Amino acid sequence: MIAFAAQVTTRVRLIVSAPNTFSIDNIPFRINRFLTDVVLQWRTIRERPAAGLMHAFVFWGFVAFAGYTSVEFLYGLGIADLTRTSWFDAYRRLLVPFASAVLAGIVYLLIRRAIVRPVGLGSRVSIESVVIALFIATLMVTFLLALRLDEATPAGRVNWWTHMLVILAFMALIPASKHFHLVLSPITVFLKSPELGNLPNLDFEKEQVGLETVKDLGSKMRLDAFTCVECGRCQVNCPAWGAGKELNPKAIILQTQHALLSGQGAAKLGEVYSEKVLWQCTTCGACENQCPVGIEHLPILIGSRRGLVSNGDAPAYLGAMYNNLERRSNIWGLGYDQRARFVQAAGLETFDPAKHDVLVWLGCAGSFDADFQKSLRSLFAILRAKSVRFGVLAKERCNGDPAKRTGNEYMYQELANGNIEDLKAAGVKKIVTSCPHCVKTIGADYAKFGYQVEILHSSVFVEALLRASTVARGASEGGAADVVTYHDPCYLGQVEILHSSVFVEALLRASTVARGASEGGAADVVTYHDPCYLGRYGGTVDEPRALLARFGAEIREPVRNRDNPYCCGAGGGLLFADKEEEPGSRISDVRFKQLQATGAGTVVTACPFCSIMLKGAQASAGADTQFVDLMTFVDGRLQKATA
Amino acid sequence: MIVVVAEQRGGKLNRATWETVVAAQQLSAFAGVRVGVLVPGAQASAAASEIAAADVQDVITLEHAALEPYTPDGFTAALQPAIAQLNATYVLMPHTYQTRDFAPKLAARMDRAIVTDVTAIKKAASDTAFVRPMFQGKLTADVVPQGPAPHFITFQIGAYRVDQAKKGASAARVRAITVEADASAIREKPEAPFQQAKQAVDLSQAERIVSVGRGIKEQANIAVAEKLAQALGAEIAASRPICDAGWLPMERQVGSSGQTVAPKLYLALGISGAIQHLVGMKGSSTVVAINKDPDAPIFEIADYGIVGDLFEIVPAIIEAVKG
Repeated sequence: MIAFAAQVTTRVRLIVSAPNTFSIDNIPFRINRFLTDVVLQWRTIRERPAAGLMHAFVFWGFVAFAGYTSVEFLYGLGIADLTRTSWFDAYRRLLVPFASAVLAGIVYLLIRRAIVRPVGLGSRVSIESVVIALFIATLMVTFLLALRLDEATPAGRVNWWTHMLVILAFMALIPASKHFHLVLSPITVFLKSPELGNLPNLDFEKEQVGLETVKDLGSKMRLDAFTCVECGRCQVNCPAWGAGKELNPKAIILQTQHALLSGQGAAKLGEVYSEKVLWQCTTCGACENQCPVGIEHLPILIGSRRGLVSNGDAPAYLGAMYNNLERRSNIWGLGYDQRARFVQAAGLETFDPAKHDVLVWLGCAGSFDADFQKSLRSLFAILRAKSVRFGVLAKERCNGDPAKRTGNEYMYQELANGNIEDLKAAGVKKIVTSCPHCVKTIGADYAKFGYQVEILHSSVFVEALLRASTVARGASEGGAADVVTYHDPCYLGQVEILHSSVFVEALLRASTVARGASEGGAADVVTYHDPCYLGRYGGTVDEPRALLARFGAEIREPVRNRDNPYCCGAGGGLLFADKEEEPGSRISDVRFKQLQATGAGTVVTACPFCSIMLKGAQASAGADTQFVDLMTFVDGRLQKATA
Repeated sequence: MIVVVAEQRGGKLNRATWETVVAAQQLSAFAGVRVGVLVPGAQASAAASEIAAADVQDVITLEHAALEPYTPDGFTAALQPAIAQLNATYVLMPHTYQTRDFAPKLAARMDRAIVTDVTAIKKAASDTAFVRPMFQGKLTADVVPQGPAPHFITFQIGAYRVDQAKKGASAARVRAITVEADASAIREKPEAPFQQAKQAVDLSQAERIVSVGRGIKEQANIAVAEKLAQALGAEIAASRPICDAGWLPMERQVGSSGQTVAPKLYLALGISGAIQHLVGMKGSSTVVAINKDPDAPIFEIADYGIVGDLFEIVPAIIEAVKG
């Protein structure tokens, strides 16, 4: 008991002494998550159903046993004897199935950990885990035996003492091990931000510059470090780790824990984690989103980048990109006359709240990338066909996402504040964009400046338009099926990407193969790549698929889809990273192979940056896979339906 | 007299000097003043004989111990009396790294106005205005230098075209001048120049580049592009997939993760024009693209676009160049 208290005190002191980063906004959401992730163990079960269910057995068993253990301790310490009551007897009998479930669960987990040994659990078998598992098994066996043995007999006394001593030893072992999650994870899950990758703005007035040393780590980050159960879900879901890079999100948390407990308060985070590793993160959010115990990796990773950038320690390729943002307000460093030319050529009007219903936000890709502009032209065609009155801003800056995710907070805030001023001045109420990063940043991050605007990814907006439209209904009835696969852009949760429209347009314009297929009535087989910022951050996974299905496409799902896509490799500033500096393979190459493995000849994308990365991977692989943007797909199908 | 200060090293003239001569010829027409070219530094006469081909009044060499090796103190000490001796009204220089280093100091020492990074000259009523970018290129300003002559003007590289330099009927007269300068005023002690992280190929200096993309189809076909490069006296470069495949070395990759280039001629063979490639070659003066796909984004930025099979077109170009 004393050992337990002492170890807990050390950790509590480390958490309390930290800058306070706890918050409890959005209580209904937190309660809901607590119920699903803690009580129902959903996040534990979802990815690893067998192991997760066994873990749930053990967890539910522990909860059920809380009353029993308390009563036995009260009796053992001579405080109160409730063991003779009739309800306790009934309770004990009720516990029998729980005990059996725990026993079955713990034996399964012990075999998995000691013999099967999945990669996420690390290379060495943890002796301590084996001991704990044996303890739990002993507790259950002694409990079941106690029902059979007369407590007065010597065998009964030994059995009772074994049970109680194991519990005490268990308590002494817990805080220094990953089994502390038993105590902490319900708290950590409740305190986890409702927003994935929550990065509060730095306050420059208060001279905040991000995380530089271990002592800058906030209270939630420290709680996270002590809660980690080392299950490795973050690790196996990390696209950087999956492509053979050094970054391992689990190692980041364990390094934090070690640095805190060994009193390295003054140690630089660039050394604790290694600078190189910190720059390998695409900010796709898979680690944080998959964590079953409420750990937030992104605030640590990006917070540390902020600390590096404010000391001038950013990789050279980011220096060039920052230069572009500073001089030209866009990531490419191109002149805004190019955007003006596109706006003119596409016949776009400057937004006027009296004349227009929505603003279309072009973004860096839409303003300058001729390839992505095809997708936007498709979007414009759809909006015009559906009589949506839309306009664009006279000028745009980058939304600031590449600056924010790479830790250049000062530049982000300059860009964001400039855009917010322009959007307010233009009287914008509703925005549609085809870029998931713009959706996430303008929608969620600008809210931290107190600016609220409705921003929809084009896939969401167009799907809603078509749902109400008879033309679309006719198309799906008469249409041939397209088989596609879709890569969910990580950032696309809130916004949908209209890649598909590009596809259809291309189909109609030139491709005899496609025409032949659809005319002949054969299904178009496609795969859809979910953008991280759309699927994972925004939760937008159904609308892009609904659009594809609406026009009869057969979607071949890739591994890692919907709200847990495998990143294309562009996020977190890595669009500009040089392969030569990196170990392993390109993240985009890994993802492209996954999409190829679906067997679909066409990849539908919904994010300009996913498109750039995956097309690059395709060109390097020399594959003949076709790419089509969701909006182009939709536009082409619509035109065909009306023709 | 309008004095152009040439930049040379070991007798080899910096090409940007010719651009400044073009600017000087334009200014001369506006102001009705003669142009002289001052060539400072050791072996000045070799560089002087090259620039003497230009239609200028005078080419003046200036050799002095203070000028070698280059130091800002030494240049200021030697150029100040030379400019006074030549009775200059304007002193024109290319906006090179070296000029950026010493010109502000020289102008401040002489207490005269300097206008830097000029892209054009405008005649406005009785004034001559110099156009320069401001606020990192967001605006341009017309600047009229004030105060007594000479006024110092530096010209952005590439603002004037060398091929517009007017050549003289015969070579201009080359003469030498001498000045008194105190070499002991030099505080810098430069080491021998060296190139950091020397790259085997520096495409950024290439005047002509033939660049290949995925449309080249296979490694054996690289030879076709190499032949064209040879005929044009161009460097060979490539987009990412070609270097990824190892068909050309990584150091020949152009784009956001490779080199940034700005040649006078960029010939893109079978390059679709992904934006990361485009940002690496957008500074090229003339872009010629050959591609099968008429919708390829490269045509958005190409000055000349040829839609067709590069294996038919390239041999024809080689013929034409050789013929």
